[in-house]
Amino acid sequence: MGGIPLSEISHTEKLPLLRNCGRCVETIMSSKMQSSNNTAHARRTVQQLRIEASIERIKVSKASADLMHYCGEHAKYDPLLMGIPASENPFKDKKPCTIL
Amino acid sequence: MGEMEELRKEADNLKDQITEARKVVQDTTLQEAVAGTTLVGRVQLKTRKTLRGHLAKIYAMHWGTDTNCSKLCVSASQDGKLIVWDTLTTNKVSAIPLKSSWVMTCAYAPSGNMVACGGLDNMCSIYNLKGKDGNVKVMRELAAHTGYLSCCRFLSDSEIITSSGDCTCVLWDIETGTEKTIFAGHLGDCMSLAVSPDFKMFISGACDFTAKLWDIREASCRQTFSGHESDINAIGFFPNGNAVITGSDDATCKLYDLRADQELITYQDSGIMCGVTSLAPSLSGRLLLAGYDDFNVNIWDMLKAERVGVLAGHDNRVSCIGVSSDGMACCTGSWDSFLKIWN
Repeated sequence: MGGIPLSEISHTEKLPLLRNCGRCVETIMSSKMQSSNNTAHARRTVQQLRIEASIERIKVSKASADLMHYCGEHAKYDPLLMGIPASENPFKDKKPCTIL
Repeated sequence: MGEMEELRKEADNLKDQITEARKVVQDTTLQEAVAGTTLVGRVQLKTRKTLRGHLAKIYAMHWGTDTNCSKLCVSASQDGKLIVWDTLTTNKVSAIPLKSSWVMTCAYAPSGNMVACGGLDNMCSIYNLKGKDGNVKVMRELAAHTGYLSCCRFLSDSEIITSSGDCTCVLWDIETGTEKTIFAGHLGDCMSLAVSPDFKMFISGACDFTAKLWDIREASCRQTFSGHESDINAIGFFPNGNAVITGSDDATCKLYDLRADQELITYQDSGIMCGVTSLAPSLSGRLLLAGYDDFNVNIWDMLKAERVGVLAGHDNRVSCIGVSSDGMACCTGSWDSFLKIWN
């Protein structure tokens, strides 16, 4: 699994495999192709899981602190959060004044 | 089948390893970490503009990013048109008739020179907005997906990434009209994608209930995030690129941190029982605006995971939402055929 250069994908592997998902097209294959495809698929699954298992992870406390810090630093520049004064709001229609 | 059994065992072992490794770094929760943070005050946005012109359901919209077009946006409707709007004047800059009216996605190139769209025709069509005679023409038709085009996003004028109902995402060379990289791995239709702020990664959400982080140049899947109990329809990056937000048919949104490799918080409310169709963070990331099937947009305090506002104004499902690149406005598109600009 993962990004595969186009040249390395065989025609059968490009077809969606038989699986239980609501909107995918089902493809019927011969049992021989299916079993060798299943092994290839399982090998790729393991290969991908190895990649995902080996990444470095930071602590949730640090991840949370960094998110909070970013929000804090940028809050004052966030118009939707801070509100926009009418005079600075390009989307606000400037109503003409009526002199009664 | 000895090998299959071994592979299955190794896969299970690796999954357990990942679960363990995630637990090891879970020294706290985001909820605990923000306990001392004050909840954002009630956010009340008003409709400033209504963009009228589409004659059928709107399925997608995307803001322009270039300084020349930060107030321009493109929308796609199943009336078979792409419309480029000047949101300040509500004027239609371009109204582009499509070959196929079954459009599901549209995108504005960062340069402002092109727009793209696609849908049940399984293709991504690229339109040049800056043609010599002023006419907007199809520049390329990117065809290779064997399923519908659910989303597309430009990396530049020469590259675009697409996600498809054929369960893959593809990086295309627009010039040659060919696939550069196929990102395979999802076990269900890919519904949405978002590109990281540094353009090096992208994330995809799919009907296999997972979100995947892909390295564009390495052509590999780096991480997979689970937890949702139904299709992921919408996905976006937190503004600093370190976290990912997903929206699902399970009526929740989730925040996943990329460096901690796990879910930090879920945005849910017992009163919300319908699917999330679209989402966008505000400029600072503090607010999460999410569109739902019940015609509303809920505004969440992203850190405290509490609702702080609602945008009610559409008469049908909110199908798409976007915050302009300068954060000044939010645009919603709906099955009621209107787009609204709020701030």
